[in-house]
Amino acid sequence: MRRSRMSAAAVAVAMAVFLIAACSSNNDSARPGDADGKSSSILTSRTEGRSGPVVLQFYMLGNAPKDLPIIEERINEMALEDLNVAVKFHYTTWTEWDQKYKLLLSTGRAVDLIFTSDWAFYQQYAHQGAFMALDELLPLAAPKLQAFVPKEMWDAVRIDGRIYTVPSTYKEYVTGGFIWREDLRRKHGLPTPVDLPSFEAYLEGIRQHEPGIQPAAFGSLVDSSIQHAYLEVERKAVGPMPYGLYASYDKPNEIGAYWGTPSHLEDLKKYKSWAEKGYLSKNVLNDPVSMQDQIASGEAAALLSDNPTRYNAMLSQMQAQHPDWDLGYTPFGRSTGYATPVHPMHNGFAIAAGSEHPEEALAFYEKLVTDERYNRLTQYGIEGVHYEVKDGFYHALDKSGFEREGMIGWAWRNPDYMLFEPSYERVQRIFNELDQIQKPDLYTRFVEDYTEYQAERAALEQVVKQYLYPLLAGQIEDVKEGLAIFMEKANEAGLPKIQQSYMKQWKDYLANGIVSNQGEKPQ
Amino acid sequence: MKIKEESSTKWFRLIAYVVVLVGCVLCLLPFLLILSASLSSNASILNEGYHLIPKEFSLEGYRIIFEVPDDVLRAYGVTTLVTVVGTLIGLLLMTMAGYVLQRKDFKYRNVFAFFIYFTTLFGGGLVPYYMLITNYLQFTNSLYALIWPGLMTPFLIILMRSFITSAVPDEVIESSKIDGANDFVIYYRIVLPLSVPGLATIGLFLALQYWNDWFSSALFISDAAKYQLQFYLYNIINTSNFLNSIGAGAGVTLSEGVPSESMKMAMAIIVTGPILLLYPFIQRYFVKGLTIGAVKG
Amino acid sequence: MLKKKGILHELYTNKILFLMLLPTLLYFLVNNYLPMIGIYYAFVQFDFNTSLFKMDFVGLKNFEFLWKSGKLVELTFNTIGYNIVFIFLGNVLSIFVAILLNDIKGKWFKKISQSILFLPYFVSFVILSVIVFNLFNYEQGVLNTVLQQLGADPVDVYSKPKLWIFFIIMFYLWKNFGYSMVIYLASITGISEDYYEAAKIDGANAFQRAWHITVPMLKNTFVILLLFALGSIMKGQFDLFYQMIGNNGLLFSTTDIIDTYVYRSLRVTFDMGMATAAGVYQSLFGFTLIMIVNAIIRKVNKDYALF
Repeated sequence: MRRSRMSAAAVAVAMAVFLIAACSSNNDSARPGDADGKSSSILTSRTEGRSGPVVLQFYMLGNAPKDLPIIEERINEMALEDLNVAVKFHYTTWTEWDQKYKLLLSTGRAVDLIFTSDWAFYQQYAHQGAFMALDELLPLAAPKLQAFVPKEMWDAVRIDGRIYTVPSTYKEYVTGGFIWREDLRRKHGLPTPVDLPSFEAYLEGIRQHEPGIQPAAFGSLVDSSIQHAYLEVERKAVGPMPYGLYASYDKPNEIGAYWGTPSHLEDLKKYKSWAEKGYLSKNVLNDPVSMQDQIASGEAAALLSDNPTRYNAMLSQMQAQHPDWDLGYTPFGRSTGYATPVHPMHNGFAIAAGSEHPEEALAFYEKLVTDERYNRLTQYGIEGVHYEVKDGFYHALDKSGFEREGMIGWAWRNPDYMLFEPSYERVQRIFNELDQIQKPDLYTRFVEDYTEYQAERAALEQVVKQYLYPLLAGQIEDVKEGLAIFMEKANEAGLPKIQQSYMKQWKDYLANGIVSNQGEKPQ
Repeated sequence: MKIKEESSTKWFRLIAYVVVLVGCVLCLLPFLLILSASLSSNASILNEGYHLIPKEFSLEGYRIIFEVPDDVLRAYGVTTLVTVVGTLIGLLLMTMAGYVLQRKDFKYRNVFAFFIYFTTLFGGGLVPYYMLITNYLQFTNSLYALIWPGLMTPFLIILMRSFITSAVPDEVIESSKIDGANDFVIYYRIVLPLSVPGLATIGLFLALQYWNDWFSSALFISDAAKYQLQFYLYNIINTSNFLNSIGAGAGVTLSEGVPSESMKMAMAIIVTGPILLLYPFIQRYFVKGLTIGAVKG
Repeated sequence: MLKKKGILHELYTNKILFLMLLPTLLYFLVNNYLPMIGIYYAFVQFDFNTSLFKMDFVGLKNFEFLWKSGKLVELTFNTIGYNIVFIFLGNVLSIFVAILLNDIKGKWFKKISQSILFLPYFVSFVILSVIVFNLFNYEQGVLNTVLQQLGADPVDVYSKPKLWIFFIIMFYLWKNFGYSMVIYLASITGISEDYYEAAKIDGANAFQRAWHITVPMLKNTFVILLLFALGSIMKGQFDLFYQMIGNNGLLFSTTDIIDTYVYRSLRVTFDMGMATAAGVYQSLFGFTLIMIVNAIIRKVNKDYALF
């Protein structure tokens, strides 16, 4: 009896200890939360923050570099002295990053600075009120930063008339271009791809001369890797519009349906002919291997579209293994006659709506961008340890500790302090060429408000994957019939309603430069 | 051996051997493909596909991963610690719950069983759960965030209840009660020793669940020193998925480059390797435990 | 209904038992019941700037996308169909193999084969999908390489939706049967030798013993597995379907289930309400089903019922 009571007590104590320890566990990043979102967490951590320097919570997408703790320590030494703030860098990794991004912004987590991009839905989040407007804060907290970023850029990132992010000022092009194995082209005397016909001729040559090689690689997301690329180069689309809508760059106002039109049918037949000739893999929809890997390993010979920076990265990766192979690149601009530099929204940093230290956050971000010590340290690591500068070029010393742009600092690149690898010259040459024909990006700034049709939108997504993807991949025998079925299903899912609303929003946007704020935006 | 076996037994056994052998081959083959791929060069995988014997032997996949071994080694430590601690606590709580729920004299056992089972049917979804862990329990970036979510599952509790029911007859409990033992003593002295195969099974499943978990790391950990092992595998795969889906249109370039196929396979092997040893270890408890007679007598 | 006094009295008499159960109850209360408040997200328009109960109530609007595509019936049918097959074949196979394994006498053979049969459980579907693509892809897949060497025409497996019904079931069994096999093995271990000895004396042969003693003794375990499987019949196995099929729309007609549909549809939006709504639909369905089945089991044999 006695023993048993002892052991019972022991178990109970052990459990209690575990529960208490679990409940009172503290950690460096989280602040006391609360029952209903942000309101009361502000109160609790305000008082908490008084005791020492403010600790800013800095969120970035992607994987953290291995030596991040060292960099963080050095940054904090400077930041404490300069601003009396410290910063904690968090990386979401690429696993479930979109989920985490949503969770961070919607569950009352303490987030001060967070990366924004058009592909991370900056426009939507800003429109829905996830970020703090910076218009009044900027002159107070970061006048230098405000002056550093050109006014056009500030204006370009405005959503509903307000600034919600600090754009990156580095000018690059992420427009597409043909990529092909140049050594094979020379070997068999094939034409250089400069436009679609010559690209097709190249693929045909590969098919005839190199039976073991897949003429072209496409990703499994065929709407972007085939449809949007094709529309960009062949039909000069203003941007990758959703819902089968199309407007040309030259006449953006003439927006109209593309899906189901004769041009759509014509294009689908073109893809079908590619599939029949074996230019693209029959199982492109299931292929798990990345396009880049397929090119670099020699499995495939060409890509319909990729941007100059990635072309350069692929070439470097390939030549590390096969020094005698070579890749060629023709930007689409050469046949379309224009190229749009990346939109300022592409990389930026915002302050979450629930941040308790917006002034400090902005002041710190100003340092990160405009102070060379902060900037170089967070972009390239420690000079002499992680990298060195030779002849003005960046040379890596310790890639596993901190690679070039290891903190994925796309957003706080400062052209004045940027260091490049020698191979960057290739990219620069392309950029210089595109600079000659540059035109502004008309599309990215458009903010779609889909509150009205979000059910239809979700339903359509499935229809597209089920009925349009196989058509794009050239897998449907009767293209005309396949398109008719797709259109029927899409219309059932509510395509006309979506298109109507989108077109109206688009026209308003072009007319005003600012999307009218008619969608319900609860206060 | 002893008495001569009847022919039906022989036939039975023959079928058993044949079926099991065929099953083993089917189960082993894909695993060998992964192993072989992890030992092949990336180029040979892409160009010639998978083979049972590497076409072009190479350790490059492992080399890339172990170039900086600290990450993986530390992740081993985290996963092992979480698995051991989580399994022990979980086993203790679940065996107690299973025992109580099968006691026929515990009047509301069905109400409580339903209370537990009901949670498998309804859930609030990811957002409230995330808030619970991060805002209320404040487990972010701590090992508690890795242990807590998988500590108990209704399935394992009910399974434990059933194991105890069949291993410990009611009369045994009744007679111990009459002898004056309290309920905890009965659990500790009689129920646990009799339920060894059940304990081993539940312990194994719980350990596997902890070992295979990556989602907790993905959601609640942002400090690389506390990532679970499986998370590394998923992150490698997700990084290349990301580059495939977003990268092209958005002009995203990662300096770290694309993880190769052989690297993925090597990671798969590294991640599963040690836990494979757990099952043979557990097997020894799958013998007929103490018989009921031993306790009664 | 139960009287309050009755509960307190009962808990007091069995206070040790109740204390032993208490941590478990608290755990589920905190870990599972508390977050259920979030079900309310299914009925509001999500907004970053207010708390849950201040968001605009929108009724069933978040559920609309489920039937807007006109696929709800087909998806529900697919989901249930697959799961019934999984439950049935999975249990039959694992009981069968468990019985056979139990009878194998070679100590090492038994140990090693058991471990090998459990091996697929460790292979994640992400990795398996890569292997499967390598077996079946049209240009370089193992299958077509072999077919061509035999002089036959290559087959495009990835454009034949009917074939994938079979593959999906096969991969499910391959990966999961080891898990339930271990459960059944443990249950068989719990069966007293006395029964077998008695049967032997009565002249029952090995097959009869397996059929008349072992199988009935596993009924209890089977019921548990069944009830849990039925409860999540509308969820389950997302990874299997998503990793194998991916974005290949050609195969959706036979391989799309609720979970994959919801995942694909909601990738493009970040609306909490719709995701929660889908979960509520799945839960209600599973709940209804389980109440019916449990009631039936209770009628047949009270001891087997879950609650």
